[in-house]
Amino acid sequence: MDKKFEMNRRSLLKGSAAAATIATVGADQLLNYATAWAQASPFKPENGAKISVLRWRRFVEAEDKAFMAMVDAFQKATGVSVTVTNESFEDVQPKASVAANTGSGLDMVWGLYSLPHLFPEKCLDMSDVADYLGKKYGGWTQSAELYGKSKGKWICLPVATTGGLMNYRISAMNKAGFKEFPKDTGGFLDLVKALKKNNTPAGFALGHASGDANTWLHWALWSHGGNLVDKDDKVVINSPETAKALQYVKDLYDNFIPGTASWNDSSNNKAFVAGELYLTSNGISIYVTASRENKAIAEDTDHAYMPIGPVGRPTELHLAFPILTFNFTKAPQACKAFAAFMQEAENFNPWIEAAQGYLSHFLNAYDKNPVWTADPKRTVYRDVSKRTLTPAGLGSLGEKAAAAIADFVVVDMFANYCTGREDIKGAIAIAERQARRIYR
Amino acid sequence: MSDTAVQKPTTTTHVLTADTQEGMTYLESFPRRLVTLWLPLGIIMFILLFPFYWMALTSVKPNSQLIDMNTYNPFWVVEPTLDHIKRLLFETAYPRWLWNTMYVAAASTFLSIFASVLAAYAIARLRFRGSQMIGAMIFMAYLIPPSILFIPLASVIHFYGLFDTPLALILVYPTILIPFSTWLLMGYFKTIPFELEECALIDGASRWQILTRIIVPLAVPGLISAFIFSFTLCWNEFIYALTLISSVQNRTVPVAIVSELVDGDVYRWGSLMAGALVGSLPLVILYAFFVEHYVSAMTGAVKE
Amino acid sequence: MSTVEDAEGRTPRRGELSWWGRLQSNRNWLAIWFMLPAAIFLLMFLAWPLILGVWLSFTDTRLARPGKFIGFENYEWLWDDGVFWLSVFNTLLYTIVASIIKFAVGLYLALLLNRHMPFKAMIRSVVLIPFIVPTVLSAIAFWWIYDAQFSIISWSLRQMGLIEQNINFLGDGNLARASLIFANIWRGVPFVAITLLAGLQTVSPSLYEAATLDGASAWQRFRYVTYPLLTPIIAVVMTFSVLFTFTDFQLIWAMTRGGPANATHLMATLSYSRGILSGQLGEGAAIATAMIPFLLAAIMISWFGLQRRKWQHGENNE
Repeated sequence: MDKKFEMNRRSLLKGSAAAATIATVGADQLLNYATAWAQASPFKPENGAKISVLRWRRFVEAEDKAFMAMVDAFQKATGVSVTVTNESFEDVQPKASVAANTGSGLDMVWGLYSLPHLFPEKCLDMSDVADYLGKKYGGWTQSAELYGKSKGKWICLPVATTGGLMNYRISAMNKAGFKEFPKDTGGFLDLVKALKKNNTPAGFALGHASGDANTWLHWALWSHGGNLVDKDDKVVINSPETAKALQYVKDLYDNFIPGTASWNDSSNNKAFVAGELYLTSNGISIYVTASRENKAIAEDTDHAYMPIGPVGRPTELHLAFPILTFNFTKAPQACKAFAAFMQEAENFNPWIEAAQGYLSHFLNAYDKNPVWTADPKRTVYRDVSKRTLTPAGLGSLGEKAAAAIADFVVVDMFANYCTGREDIKGAIAIAERQARRIYR
Repeated sequence: MSDTAVQKPTTTTHVLTADTQEGMTYLESFPRRLVTLWLPLGIIMFILLFPFYWMALTSVKPNSQLIDMNTYNPFWVVEPTLDHIKRLLFETAYPRWLWNTMYVAAASTFLSIFASVLAAYAIARLRFRGSQMIGAMIFMAYLIPPSILFIPLASVIHFYGLFDTPLALILVYPTILIPFSTWLLMGYFKTIPFELEECALIDGASRWQILTRIIVPLAVPGLISAFIFSFTLCWNEFIYALTLISSVQNRTVPVAIVSELVDGDVYRWGSLMAGALVGSLPLVILYAFFVEHYVSAMTGAVKE
Repeated sequence: MSTVEDAEGRTPRRGELSWWGRLQSNRNWLAIWFMLPAAIFLLMFLAWPLILGVWLSFTDTRLARPGKFIGFENYEWLWDDGVFWLSVFNTLLYTIVASIIKFAVGLYLALLLNRHMPFKAMIRSVVLIPFIVPTVLSAIAFWWIYDAQFSIISWSLRQMGLIEQNINFLGDGNLARASLIFANIWRGVPFVAITLLAGLQTVSPSLYEAATLDGASAWQRFRYVTYPLLTPIIAVVMTFSVLFTFTDFQLIWAMTRGGPANATHLMATLSYSRGILSGQLGEGAAIATAMIPFLLAAIMISWFGLQRRKWQHGENNE
């Protein structure tokens, strides 16, 4: 056990040292590269172009620094002036909506999930950029195509995914009688029950948390074979599988730390780092924060894929971050150039390294990035873009699916049953009604 | 009514307003005063101030103590740190946001009070045809809440070419301020005796002179209330400030703090609360001065 | 009566005035001049978007995609929508409970503050603090005070041995409602109190003196002197308090976003979440429009309250 800790610490140190080197040496190299890139690139920005980009507010500080370094290099090399605005990830959508509605204010928005699918008609066709990047970097993952395309055109470029995977305390899991993290839903329920008995409880958000609640509850629904809609976008939520999923989550909920119905995205981070919570689903931000503020907990933390349910295959949902360009931009070529530049290896590699596992790539070539192996605890996050489904599940990703997830249809169905407001039938009926309305 | 008031010297005012119990205050026993005044006041004050204390405490607490309730007493702080405040003041554009907020709040408050004084006077005193109707219509302004108004409003602001300028907020905020200020001032204007105005009219004063020389000075407490209300509302406004302003350097304090100090799913509690504290301080000072003024303005108004 | 005198006083001179003079003196024209600034603001930045908003509620507009007219379809849908009715119930509960308590505590506080005491000015300004702190941030502070794991209230009660488990402030439907109402009251009381205090100070001390001489008790003096004189201010303050509570958004949004399981959705948050977040602008607009009748009722009540008051005032003056 001691040995294992020692090893982890070493790899941790190595990882952060690597990130630091990139930050200091990188700037000049990046500029040289950017200049060369600007000469060779197929995307020639308009003269004197100015673009304004809205992005979600970073989760990890170093990631933001790397991103801004890249923006800086791009500006110097191409002469395009780029204004970057940050907005907390839940406020990106209202702002993007205003821009889409009024047809001005922003050129590019880097937002959450299915944001571009809320207004596909307002998005610039990015197919040429997607092809360019796909050919160069080993092709897009399957989920990237689902996220990126609408009616055969790429309306946005998937940039990265933030995984919502199991975060657990190794010691608590061992004490509960598990050598490794359970791989199926049955074992997982046993673990949660054992954790509760040992007074080292688990907890998963059931409140209106756009990230945490949506990701793990969709997993729970799909893992039992339940679906909101089928592949023809017909509402099929009212099924025995859904009922099973509801019961399963209720069993879990009864063994959670109290209060998860009020949790938002930050609640589990706080409780985990404070040592009150021993198992939850989250991105890697808990681990990153803990490495900084509470080393002992970081060393005792590890990550695992979401367990596989009765359907027999992974059914995970993660937070994808696609970037879109509005078709009313005055500088479409500059936007395309920027979007392509972002995902070139010389930019993307140091950037995802700086993100310390928070951002996972959609382009297959980046599997080789050392960030995924430098610290073995990050490795599972490498694959989240490959494993993720879209919020639409079986259905087609479009404005309807985007509306359903934004309206917390699935989350509220579970919350209604778990908190005892509705029985299984009632909870499903409410969700069904809402879904029918959205998918009419 | 006003005549009697004029004759009362300030001393009576002070004895009698102070006195809501039997007879004279100075005869009231201490235990009784404790129960009827200090105890309830103390409880209410405690409840009102505790969250504020909590914010202040959080803003100087080191991160390690924030979520560790077993080793440290959460009501107190060991080794307070100024890191959060330093970070806020020197690593973000906080001074700039503070300035934006003040500028926007002051400008729109001034505009609204100007418009409200005129409107309230017209409705309360000119008694023109349809004045009741207009009064009711001004009130209708509140019928649609900002939470849904902001999308159509954003189109309108774009149409006027004001998007992402402080002017957008300066011109939009009066829509939430004018109705209240107007009604508040109407209330105050109505308490001013008509006789004063009649005398002035007979002496040949114009309406404008009456308004500026008689009515407005007499309504100073009302103006202060309206000012406090309007200024604070501007200071706090969130939705419009979020949607009508996009660049970081034009943001106001509430929006900027929330968007700059929440990193995804990690809240920077210390700096958030420091931001709330520092953002409120100018107002607290301003109000400390005004509440003083409020009282003296009142006695002044009665004396005249 | 004053109006008639005024008009008569001016009649003989009216013929001599130029049109400019008439514009300055004719009461109706004068009124228009006086109303102009307020009218411009309200028409440009309120009436127009408002009409747009109501129109939206009759369409199936989605974000960034123009819709077509669908009549009352949105309203029909809402009529059968459990979540919508839950939000109506929550809104009414939230508004009524919070407003009544705000009024009672605010008035009580105003009466306390109106008494003679040391550090009066300081206490008065300190009382305003909850009103001054930006709502979003005080909501975040409250959210933490109510946290499921790190609540200071739960912690204190646990230390005192009164409870064994943390109170589930925001996770249980009813507790969440109560917690939010409390936060709203906390924010609203200072404003009500200070405005009523200002009202109290306009009450001439001679009236109390007279009442005391007539042998009125403290309650009688409050009931028959203070209260009637305060009614115009009360009407205004309470109308606004009701309106702002009814349309409250920030507090709920920062703390629960309408959760757990929609138990704390108000109409304002629901309309935002349906209209903006899930992009169904038309439906969101319909929810917002559905607030109008309620708000209208609130306004009417206080409006007629004020009318009656003015009447009495007129009689008193005669």
